[in-house]
Amino acid sequence: MMLVTFKRRDLYLLLLLAAGLVLLFEYGKLTPNRGALLLTLVFWSGLAQGCLALAAAAELTRARWIASLRRELLCVHPLLLVLALLFLCLAPRLDLYPWHEKPGPWLNGPFFLVRNLLLLLAVWWTGRRFALSAAARAEPCQRDAVLFLFAFVACQSLLAFDLVMSLAYPWMSSLLGAYFFVEALYAGVALAALLFFVLGGGKQRQAPEVIGAHHRDVARLLFGFSVLWGGLFFAQFLLLWYGNLPEETGFIVARLQSAGLRNLALLVILACFVAPFIGLMARRVKERPALVALVALAVLAGLFGERLFFILPEAPLHLGVTLFQNLVLGMGWLVLVHGQGEVLPEAVGGEG
Amino acid sequence: MSQEPGLNAGPNLAPAERLERTVLAAMSRPSLRYLGALGLCGLLVLMLFAIWGVIIWQGMGIAGINHPVSWGVFITNFVFWVGIAHSGTLISAVLYLFRARFRTSFNRAAEAMTLIALSVAGLFPLIHLGRVWIFYYLLPYPSERLIWPNFRSPLVWDVFAVTTYMLVSAAFFYIGLLPDLAILRRRLQGWRSRVYGWLSLGWSGSLDEWRHYNRVYLFLAAFATPLVASVHSIVSWDFAVSIVPGWHTTIFAPYFVAGAILSGSAMVFTLTIPMRRILGLEAYIQVDHFEALAKILLFTSLIVSYSYICETALAWYHGNLFEMEQFRYRSFGDYWFLYWIMILCNSLLPLTLWRKSWRRNLRWLFILSLLVNVGMWLERFVIIVNSLAREYSPYAWGTYQVSLAELGITLGSFGLFFAMFLLFCKLLPVLSMTEIKERL
Repeated sequence: MMLVTFKRRDLYLLLLLAAGLVLLFEYGKLTPNRGALLLTLVFWSGLAQGCLALAAAAELTRARWIASLRRELLCVHPLLLVLALLFLCLAPRLDLYPWHEKPGPWLNGPFFLVRNLLLLLAVWWTGRRFALSAAARAEPCQRDAVLFLFAFVACQSLLAFDLVMSLAYPWMSSLLGAYFFVEALYAGVALAALLFFVLGGGKQRQAPEVIGAHHRDVARLLFGFSVLWGGLFFAQFLLLWYGNLPEETGFIVARLQSAGLRNLALLVILACFVAPFIGLMARRVKERPALVALVALAVLAGLFGERLFFILPEAPLHLGVTLFQNLVLGMGWLVLVHGQGEVLPEAVGGEG
Repeated sequence: MSQEPGLNAGPNLAPAERLERTVLAAMSRPSLRYLGALGLCGLLVLMLFAIWGVIIWQGMGIAGINHPVSWGVFITNFVFWVGIAHSGTLISAVLYLFRARFRTSFNRAAEAMTLIALSVAGLFPLIHLGRVWIFYYLLPYPSERLIWPNFRSPLVWDVFAVTTYMLVSAAFFYIGLLPDLAILRRRLQGWRSRVYGWLSLGWSGSLDEWRHYNRVYLFLAAFATPLVASVHSIVSWDFAVSIVPGWHTTIFAPYFVAGAILSGSAMVFTLTIPMRRILGLEAYIQVDHFEALAKILLFTSLIVSYSYICETALAWYHGNLFEMEQFRYRSFGDYWFLYWIMILCNSLLPLTLWRKSWRRNLRWLFILSLLVNVGMWLERFVIIVNSLAREYSPYAWGTYQVSLAELGITLGSFGLFFAMFLLFCKLLPVLSMTEIKERL
């Protein structure tokens, strides 16, 4: 039962209000630490783009479970525009980057802002197009899904290389781009598992046994992504450790020297790999939405912790401000899920 | 291909009966063309072992490898054949877990291809060793002098990874075969029935047996899936853990895995398109199934292209002189021609598969599969030779030319691969009859 209904205009106004609150806390001189907006942007761009990318991948592979969550995943598209706007507001923070003092042909302020903004807008535009067509049609709209996935991969890769990796320039890892877009998909799966628990997988549209089968598929995906994440994590850090080059290991050493970040690193591995891998191995756990949602929460917390691990030493941040910004965007996302009928057209021919 | 009387599939037969007859017809007495093809492959195999004998007798000097390019065609071949071996498990295990039904058209041939390609790949480290009789140094055997292999060396990781993959793939292949072997026991007579009966381990098809079978098949599929990624990741670390320019890059593991699946899928096309036509399997290996496999080929080609872009772009991003020089050398140095053929075959030509009509054109798919295999072989060559030819010090730079001995051994390895596949077609059912019956 809907307690409050929103018109489309109200939804967009609420999202703008959320963006305004995020910026107020970022630039309101509450704290001298200035990395919160960067962390919020990196985390939420993965989360929001990951939801749509997961839906696009499911459409392309004709996965059946998407029928239970299609609209809940697709309705996130307006948030992509908010994130593009927030990125623009990152301009005064470019002095966080070590290359700011000595810009090069690739790493310089104007080009950095323009290329990332264009990609974020491209993701929003292709994502919106895909979401509107996928929500309206019973048949999958493959062309829009492919276009969005191209923009998604390019955008997540560039966010990883530009926004995160260049914070520690000249540190470099060629896997980081792929690692980020896989993590975005992982976050999308985790959010899908949470939505299953919270909303019951679209009870009003599907039979209970169908929802159960779809939920198990999402739980299996979460398990599969934990293995993939573990593999990529290991592949990346094994080479840095084995190569033992100061320009590569410096990045890790700088973080592991602090006890807090060392513990955070362990927690990230526990949350993103150990918990879902061991927790979701048993069939009985995969059949219980509450337990799967608990694991999904751990995964999301782990992914947030990892972004913190990457960004914190170079861009100190105030934890309270960061949490508030993320809470505001989280509320914005919930409002979108609640008012999905306003941002998505009605399905023609029923849910597939 | 000649067929035994009564094995031809008739129009009035029940679908299951027709399927069994079609598959049995493929295992009938070999035709002259088949024997000719097998004989040609046999000659190539003889050439391989003859040249290997010469290498053992005269030493590694007759191969083209030198200082600084101490890894050449032999290691290229090893990586190539391990890559080819990947698609079998991908199609069998991964697609089984994802419930992709088109896998049943290819899984038997792809699993056989995995085992054959791994056997061929296993030869190359032995050939490259030179002194092949001391290969057991790589194994952790109980030495009285307490000498252990260097477990920090990725070459030792390779031994474990490839052996594990081989064992799991063999178990997966054999367990999947059991119900079909029981069918062969029932349908054939004489000594062949006795042999297949012995191989089928007394399979009776009871409910209990099927329950256990499905459980173990699922378990093996789940166990084999991470192996698909781990084996070629470890092969990639043969290169990436060293600090050679062009090798030491973190994207190597997923890049090699995607490349392996790309080349493996291409080889499945190369083998199954002619096999389907010669053995009359059009009703079971349908164009729709090829189209689905073509999408996998396109997808992995895109990942490989992404990796090419990432590693080249990041060499320039970082500004490391040696990395930049390495990628300039790859594109415009001594082997520039091979590099651009690689780009054409692995990145550009697969883009034609965006069009549905091209994905369904078997003639094009066959040609493309050959070109992708050329491209993937060249990719390994480009990675290995260029990086060794242009390391840090200009005084240590050099070039490499493939010798006739290396070329002969490479051709021989293809002969061995195709000979073993031809034997598989005659000795075992090329389609998984029990799985196809489920979809009839």
